Amino acid sequence: MKKYDAVVIGAGNGGLVAAIRLLQGGAKVLLVEKHNLPGGFATSFRRGRFEFEASLHELNDFGTKDNAGDVRDLFDSLGVTDKIEWLQIPEAYRVIVKSENLDATMPFGVEEFIAKMESYVPGSRESMRKFFDLAEEIRLAQAYSSSVNGHTDSKVMVSKYGNFVRCGSYSVNEVLRTLKMPQKAIDILSAYWCYLGAHLDDMSFVHYASMVNRYIRRGASMPKMRSHEISLALVSRILELGGEVLYNTEAVKILQDEKDGGVAGVVLSDGTNVATRHVVANCAPHLVFGKMLERVSPADIRATNARKFAGRGFTMFLGLNRTAEELGVENHNYFLYDTSDTVKQYDIMKTIRGNSAQATVCLNRAYPECSPKGTCMMYFTTLYMSDDWGNVKAEDYFKTKNYVANKMIDRFERDTGAKIRDSIEEISVATPMTYARYCGHPEGVIYGYESQYWDGLMPRLLMMGEDHTVRGLRFAGGYSMRLSGYSSAYFSGDISGRQTVGDIKKEG
Amino acid sequence: MAYKFKKQIFGFMDLLRFKKMVPKRREKLAQGSEKALPVSYRVNETAKILHPGFQKGKLIEIIQNTPDTKTFVFQTERPFYSRAGQYLTVGCNIGESRVARPYAVSSAPKAALNKKMSVTVKKSGFFSGYLFDNAKVGDEFTIGDPSGDFCYEPVKDSKNVLAIAGGSGITPFYSMAQAIADGTEDFHLTILYGAKTEKDIIFKKELDKLSSDKIKIVYVLSDEKKEEYENGFIGAELIKKYVSGDFTVMMCGPQAMYSFVDKELVSFNLPLRRVKKEANCVGVRDVKDEVYNITVHIGFEKYCIKASACETVLVAMERAGINAPSKCRAGGCGFCHSRLVSGKFSIVGADKRRLADVKFGYFHPCCSYPDSDMEIVVPRT
Repeated sequence: MKKYDAVVIGAGNGGLVAAIRLLQGGAKVLLVEKHNLPGGFATSFRRGRFEFEASLHELNDFGTKDNAGDVRDLFDSLGVTDKIEWLQIPEAYRVIVKSENLDATMPFGVEEFIAKMESYVPGSRESMRKFFDLAEEIRLAQAYSSSVNGHTDSKVMVSKYGNFVRCGSYSVNEVLRTLKMPQKAIDILSAYWCYLGAHLDDMSFVHYASMVNRYIRRGASMPKMRSHEISLALVSRILELGGEVLYNTEAVKILQDEKDGGVAGVVLSDGTNVATRHVVANCAPHLVFGKMLERVSPADIRATNARKFAGRGFTMFLGLNRTAEELGVENHNYFLYDTSDTVKQYDIMKTIRGNSAQATVCLNRAYPECSPKGTCMMYFTTLYMSDDWGNVKAEDYFKTKNYVANKMIDRFERDTGAKIRDSIEEISVATPMTYARYCGHPEGVIYGYESQYWDGLMPRLLMMGEDHTVRGLRFAGGYSMRLSGYSSAYFSGDISGRQTVGDIKKEG
Repeated sequence: MAYKFKKQIFGFMDLLRFKKMVPKRREKLAQGSEKALPVSYRVNETAKILHPGFQKGKLIEIIQNTPDTKTFVFQTERPFYSRAGQYLTVGCNIGESRVARPYAVSSAPKAALNKKMSVTVKKSGFFSGYLFDNAKVGDEFTIGDPSGDFCYEPVKDSKNVLAIAGGSGITPFYSMAQAIADGTEDFHLTILYGAKTEKDIIFKKELDKLSSDKIKIVYVLSDEKKEEYENGFIGAELIKKYVSGDFTVMMCGPQAMYSFVDKELVSFNLPLRRVKKEANCVGVRDVKDEVYNITVHIGFEKYCIKASACETVLVAMERAGINAPSKCRAGGCGFCHSRLVSGKFSIVGADKRRLADVKFGYFHPCCSYPDSDMEIVVPRT
């Protein structure tokens, strides 16, 4: 029988990084992926003369050589930074809430951001500065926590990172109101919320502030050849380190040890049994506990049932036969909302009929050469906060898809004044069904488990140890301890990969 | 930092709250339902109908359409659904070889929901010849996922579609016409259908029956002059006679037809967004027939096979009986995405790979000819 120190299930962002960490730790590793490409959502596809980015809007926390973010540091230590050509995103975002006459374009850089906010909302400066100070203290506290592998000294936490601890249990809205931030500034600052997919009464301040701070302080990055370049770079590193990768190969079962119920092997879709005592699962615990494991403890079933799926994805990709300038597409990154009240907006995003909120990117505004001369590319993403796509029957699928696509185009034209409809050369649409097909996620979820108040970043990190319930089984990716998003998924792979190296060493 | 964050009157209350996060989550997790976790989900089940993957198809009927064309009707294992105009692969073992070919679906999308699907095949090459001469009712084949973008796209296409079909290139349009007639699709379809002679017209009776205010069929005979037909080749004059204003052109037929029609379309000054062509399978190349050795890694297995310089790497694998992934056979769909370890190859036509594939040495065996011995890593099917 084939035997490995560890099998990584799923070559998504988390699985790829976990595999490298395991290999760097000296383990013999097999990585299996059910699709024929690595990366999960981190990929690209060709249509006509365009190569579309499948999912990445902008990579958070990468930074530049002189202003390196944590993701760059991670990529440096994985040995992949230089395999990828990077470019910088020019500005943070433009948020438009037409019904409230809100239209703000925000820059990167803390000072620039605060100054721009002051120009939109006079009197916001002090609260904004407090926000960034708090956010930076959160970053430092997290860095300290990582440096001691989560075993923090509570005296150090309270004395050095007191603000972090004091604000650590509150939601975004609770903290921003405590900072006496003017409502309009809160509205503008809230724009990134849909990147995390929970409304701001629910989302932990620590999580949100941490993300905004990393974006604004270090800027955002993009690989030139779309996220497929990152995924292939990670694979090439895995191969250099002697790892094995199998595509079109699904892990259908995780075999359990008779005695302790822990990992004993993996059964692959072709019927092959692979012996291993360690699995890093880059997929949903719902799948692992729901169908891959035979014997599951009642506690694991309860814990998994208790969690809430985050947004189900929808993205429309357009290849346009005019330039961004000609079309009037002025910005790289738009957030278009119905209301700046994130609780209400979240509710609107529950139904196919109601939802046309969107995070829209024109990649040419960051990288003009990403498509042929005289053209540009755009992608429009939204989330569904319920399983409404589950109500769509196969025979109504294409009509529903086109209905939403049309609505998103209309919305973009109305809110921004750009004219794009008559210039569409290529169109492709990914729905929850598409994400379910390629990545196997339940209901087409793209954000893992929702960052609900009780299940946010802090409690997940603090409970990493006790969430590890099956010997030899660890999770990576959007469902795990760092929550969803590119950088979070990479970090989760880093953590679970290194922890598994530790597990293997302990076994001797 | 001078600023001290405090939400409650006393800072220690904020600290206490922080400490409660873990017990609170512990409690919430313990309160979850004890019901078994779902094995599947509605969206995932629908995805399986839209993308059924490979499945078995039993040949249940063979209809001779013309002297060199037959329609093969299959009963599939599972219901599925796709867009009119898509293709899928039909495959089986022939002797030592493992062969599959993409064919446009000629039945209506709705038929597949009842597990019925047909392809219409002109006898022309190795596999179509096998189907034509050897396949019989009751035989089992492997049917692939419905694929391709040769479809009417209501968000961007003109409501008026001009279809230009050559020979068996009529099949996707026959499927579209049925979809319009049964209400699945909604657009105006004008088909200019080129055939050599009257007896080469496939689906004549069926198409005539489908004619309506939305569907118009014009037969164009190249080798025969007859009263009720247009004759010659499909050119600018004929196009002007049947369509005007804004229209989308969709072409399906042999390469020679594309080259001819492309020139005829120049005077219409159509933007790229208004013209679609269905890709044709890559064939043999005309070079000296060298034989190369290819080492193929697939799954945990390793094979050493012979390859002809005249044929694609995919064909070499199929001849050797390797169950290699294939779908479009035209370099576009990426299903055979493989990694080159060593060796050289040439790509026929435009390079349709992703940028990073080129950078990291990946290629599509279906459209690449070997130029040396090679070592490659191919995903399993």
